[in-house]
Amino acid sequence: MELVLLSIINGLIQGGFFALFAVGLVLIFGVMGVVNFAHGELVMVGAYTIWLVHAQNGLGYIPTLILAILLVTIIGLLMERFLFRPTRNDPLAGLICSIGVLFVLQVAATLVGGEGPSKQVPPPFHGTLVLFDFLRIPYQRLFGLGISALALVALWYFLTRTRFGWALRAVALDRDAAALQGININQISMIAIGVGAALAGLAGGLMAPLTNINPHMGHNVIITAFIVTIVGGVGSLSGAVYAAIIYALFHTFVTVYFGGTVATICGLILMVVVLIVRPAGIMGVRVSE
Amino acid sequence: MSFSRRDILRASIAGAFAAGASTLPTRLLAANNTAKIGMNIPMTGDYAPWGLPGLYGCQIVADDINAAGGVKIGGDSYNIELVAYDHGYDTEKAVQGYKKLVLQDKVKMVMMLGGSTVASVLPWAERRKMLTTTLLPSDITPDSDYLIATCESHPLYNVTGVEYLAEKFPQAKTAAIVTNNDAEYGLQSAATYKAAFEVAGIDVIDVNLHGFDITDFAPIVSSVLAKKPDIFCMATSFYVTPLMEQLFHQGYQGKIISCTLDYYDEIIAKTSREFVDGTIFQFPDFDDPMLNQPGVNFPNPGDFDAKFRKAHPNDWSAVSWEYPAILLNWIEGAKAAGSVEPTAVLKALKSAKNPEFVFGEGRWWGSQLWGKDNAVVGRWPVVVVEGGKARIKEYRSVSGWLDKHKDVLIKHMKELGLRTV
Repeated sequence: MELVLLSIINGLIQGGFFALFAVGLVLIFGVMGVVNFAHGELVMVGAYTIWLVHAQNGLGYIPTLILAILLVTIIGLLMERFLFRPTRNDPLAGLICSIGVLFVLQVAATLVGGEGPSKQVPPPFHGTLVLFDFLRIPYQRLFGLGISALALVALWYFLTRTRFGWALRAVALDRDAAALQGININQISMIAIGVGAALAGLAGGLMAPLTNINPHMGHNVIITAFIVTIVGGVGSLSGAVYAAIIYALFHTFVTVYFGGTVATICGLILMVVVLIVRPAGIMGVRVSE
Repeated sequence: MSFSRRDILRASIAGAFAAGASTLPTRLLAANNTAKIGMNIPMTGDYAPWGLPGLYGCQIVADDINAAGGVKIGGDSYNIELVAYDHGYDTEKAVQGYKKLVLQDKVKMVMMLGGSTVASVLPWAERRKMLTTTLLPSDITPDSDYLIATCESHPLYNVTGVEYLAEKFPQAKTAAIVTNNDAEYGLQSAATYKAAFEVAGIDVIDVNLHGFDITDFAPIVSSVLAKKPDIFCMATSFYVTPLMEQLFHQGYQGKIISCTLDYYDEIIAKTSREFVDGTIFQFPDFDDPMLNQPGVNFPNPGDFDAKFRKAHPNDWSAVSWEYPAILLNWIEGAKAAGSVEPTAVLKALKSAKNPEFVFGEGRWWGSQLWGKDNAVVGRWPVVVVEGGKARIKEYRSVSGWLDKHKDVLIKHMKELGLRTV
């Protein structure tokens, strides 16, 4: 019972991180039609910022987290303006551009952080919350869970309660129809990638004290993000959130009871099964031709 | 006494030359030959911690040797020049780099980390009769005449840590092993630990294998701790820091043993000194007083440690001194051979019945496991963290353990599907 409860909590914490970067990927794909292969590297830049500015130069964790979000948002906006916008009518060109950005960011991280070992960030929140004498949850992980949940609630509010959110969803549903309604596609694209990149920066900043930081850490992130996106339904924001939590819980329980190697295999099998049984994903809408 | 203008001019030129010459590097004065040594290693990517620090260490050793006038080989003086190639642990790049080092740079030996990158260059290296070194003796095959392992005998040395643990903590009776699921590092190490635990009478209650895609170690640690092991064993080093962090947060109070504990100061920063204290592993810092004892074949280890940490404050890892130790082995071999040519150096090295290696006298071993006696095994240090500092507690014999228990090791290697002869 103790192990089950602990696994649920660990799964939810992981799910929070997965949701942050998967939702960003879905947002960018939905609005701009670009599969952003550099999304994992945006998470990496967020983590590197925490290492460089907070761990190496002593600025407080929270201000650095805000700085990481701003920096990654700016990178996202630059990508939209100078790469994705000029190639908007050619999804393949956008994809190739994002792969180029992936390499550029990896090399930039190597130049900034140097070669050699993975970087480590001491946890800003020390200590462990102990519940019922057996549930032990580090405060750092609780902080990550809380901020992830807050960010997702804020995103939900933005998408469902604001004019920009409505416009963004309209563009994601049908770009041409939205444009005919007078929605500025360029502006909405900037907002979409800005929000997606900000969430990636936040995810990187939250994960930084909990993981090995290196220029290639985005690789695992993007694979997970793709699995979550496909399981949730490509283009579905709520699907991405549900899928992130389901996938994280599934992965955590399989890891606990069958081992990490089996969990990796089962995660991919889960994706394949969803593709066969429900090709549009959990929340995706099947479009008839 | 009178001086002509010509005398004054001559004296001035001579004086100026003498003054200038005193500031020239020793190697220019000596006009030495150059022996080029290649390093075909990962300097970027996940494996960089097992490559780049070795290059830094070799450069310190080479600079010291060159500043002292080089090394006398066969009546000639040689300076050591390192030529490094970053293969990023990519087999195709490893082949490219190897050929570049041999054909273009004309190196006399190539040092490598091991694993698939060594396997990829081996056929060509053998045809070229190029002396190549590895840190993984499991790379040795019955046909690999020119591949030797003269320093690290990964992961055979792990048996010494388990022996020490079993002797000092006899109440510890169960162990859980966590490691990567790769055959080159993780499974080799897991098989060795399983054998060592069996010999020590410790029951292995869990072998938890994971891939390189793990981002959260909380589920792995909670799964292992649910089995309540007395000993938590980390067989490879890629994820030691997040594993230790999780052990700390999940309240583990048993013994911890690890193959390596690279960057343990960062682990202390993430956990606590009290938690890390008592952790047993296998790779010393080189300011350790035990390295000044007779039998250790590494000149001024404390000085080397200080120079390294001053020049590269955050880069010390297990390989920082291993590649330099191999370089020193090569120099001794070249001196004995009176030549820098690979075949001659190899012959000189292999002719020693009890070759000297970094921790003393060893012996050539390996035919019973990999088909050729091309790895040097001897004693190896058992290192324990005490007061936040790694300290050698004692040396134990790897070769002695192998003499008695190699069959147990072979059994566990076969169980995990690893190659043996």
